[in-house]
Amino acid sequence: MSEAILQAEQVTFEYNSGDAEPVKALCGVELTVTRGSFTALLGHNGCGKSTLAKQFNALLLPTGGRVLVEEMDTADESLIPQIRRTVGMVLQNPDNQLVSTVVEEDVAFGPENLGVEPHEIRIRVDEALKAVGMYDYRHHAAHKLSGGQKQRVAIAGVLAMRPDVLVLDEPTAMLDPSGRKEVMQTVHRLCREHGMTVMLITHYMEEAATADRVVVMEGGKVMLDGTPREVFSRVSTLREAALDVPQATELCYELHKHGIEVATDVLTVEECVDALITLLEAQHGHS
Amino acid sequence: MAILEVRQLNYVYSAGTPYEKAALRDVSFSVEKGDIVGVIGHTGSGKSTLMQQLNGLLTPMSGQVLLDGRDIWENPKKIRDIRFRVGMVFQYPEYQLFEETVRRDIAFGPRNMGLSEEEIERRVRRAATFAGLREELLEVSPFDLSGGQKRRAAIAGVMAMEPEVLVLDEPTAGLDPRGREQLLSRIVRYARENGTTVLLVSHSMEDVAAVADKVLVMNKGEVAMMAPTAEVFSRAEELQAMGLTVPAVTQIFMKLRDSGYAVGENAYTVEQAVRRLLPLIKGGAAGC
Repeated sequence: MSEAILQAEQVTFEYNSGDAEPVKALCGVELTVTRGSFTALLGHNGCGKSTLAKQFNALLLPTGGRVLVEEMDTADESLIPQIRRTVGMVLQNPDNQLVSTVVEEDVAFGPENLGVEPHEIRIRVDEALKAVGMYDYRHHAAHKLSGGQKQRVAIAGVLAMRPDVLVLDEPTAMLDPSGRKEVMQTVHRLCREHGMTVMLITHYMEEAATADRVVVMEGGKVMLDGTPREVFSRVSTLREAALDVPQATELCYELHKHGIEVATDVLTVEECVDALITLLEAQHGHS
Repeated sequence: MAILEVRQLNYVYSAGTPYEKAALRDVSFSVEKGDIVGVIGHTGSGKSTLMQQLNGLLTPMSGQVLLDGRDIWENPKKIRDIRFRVGMVFQYPEYQLFEETVRRDIAFGPRNMGLSEEEIERRVRRAATFAGLREELLEVSPFDLSGGQKRRAAIAGVMAMEPEVLVLDEPTAGLDPRGREQLLSRIVRYARENGTTVLLVSHSMEDVAAVADKVLVMNKGEVAMMAPTAEVFSRAEELQAMGLTVPAVTQIFMKLRDSGYAVGENAYTVEQAVRRLLPLIKGGAAGC
């Protein structure tokens, strides 16, 4: 069951910008992602998480160590087309990812390049657009969409290629709350029902809390790795890494700091409400 | 006094084509001088269209935008002056950096205003300080800055025009939690010290809750609410129906109240929630 699909073995990476000193973005990353899992990757801007994500579909190649995608070494150039077919990538800015003027043509671009049959392309495009809630816009001009709508089309474009792994680099940064929820539900459904392996880079702690596993990067290395409950209970460590915790967690943590005996591994609004009700009841019993 | 007043504003995209779409319908509201107003709304609710009306990037089909009591289109030839007085920071403003040095980039706006070199220099330094850009960074190429620094340099370029109204469209998108918090507090400090009126468009209810005095809610091209922050976030059900949400702590308070606990007024930040809950949970611990 726990078959490894992505592996980073002692991966180092240096950005070389001509005359300047090379910048070390990754300093020995060790990470294994299993098939069908949902991993959230956190870290402050510049911690190396986007650099790591780009290693997984060979957009960047390690300067040290190696990266395996379904056992394929990204250093082997002949495997790159297959690696990119396996790992679909959604980047931060949708404007850099849309290629066609009409929404459905944009979504069809990927499968067309893979040589998929036209009939099958039609099915995939419709399915992908429905999955991101943009089906009604299939004949619209892509450039006239709002930022959030564009991002959903970009996600659909990747979905239409039916990859095994979906790497999303802050896909919800520009979406409104309902758009965010829609995308998160879509990504979770793809993981649950289609066995898609998901790696989600996000700055929204509430989103990370819904993953199976949370990996926190700091200074080009993995700093924390565990279930959301384990990771988010380390509030002070996360704050030192310029990160945050979900508000429900923060509320319990702050109350705990004031000497209130309350669990600090609370993740959701519901859990927090339950914990507070227990406290309020106890108080009521005393008075 | 109202610095900005929008009266019965209407705007339609692609008018006269099959794709005609009403973007703004009878929009009216006013903003008091010095207020920080959070602007929220579902994707496509008309927020960005409205913001572009405020400095004359779009022209109303009917209705008016009044700045300091005067119609901004009173003299269309002078619309450029309005753009200096209503500063606009677009989404991902760092893509608009273009000059050779950060200093020149920040100076671009003030230079276009025809100010003296001395005044330009004063404004560049001041804006850089508010944006948290160290002196030595002024001499480097904006393209050598980190993502967060680029964002702040771009915002400094608008701050340097010292506009009366500063409009920011999703200024914290893509920043990490610390970067978001720091940028917001810099914007608040800038606004308070200069008496600048701020309109902050955001999809983050937590950001809006943290800084806004008032919240303008747009829905389907109309003004759904314009009220103090606490009041807007107490109308959670209406917000949810518009595809919006309330901060997690507000949800927690609402659920406690629904379960019959007298937790008092709504809380919309963690600090408020802690302050309200402490005396209830532990009578003696109040006042922390």
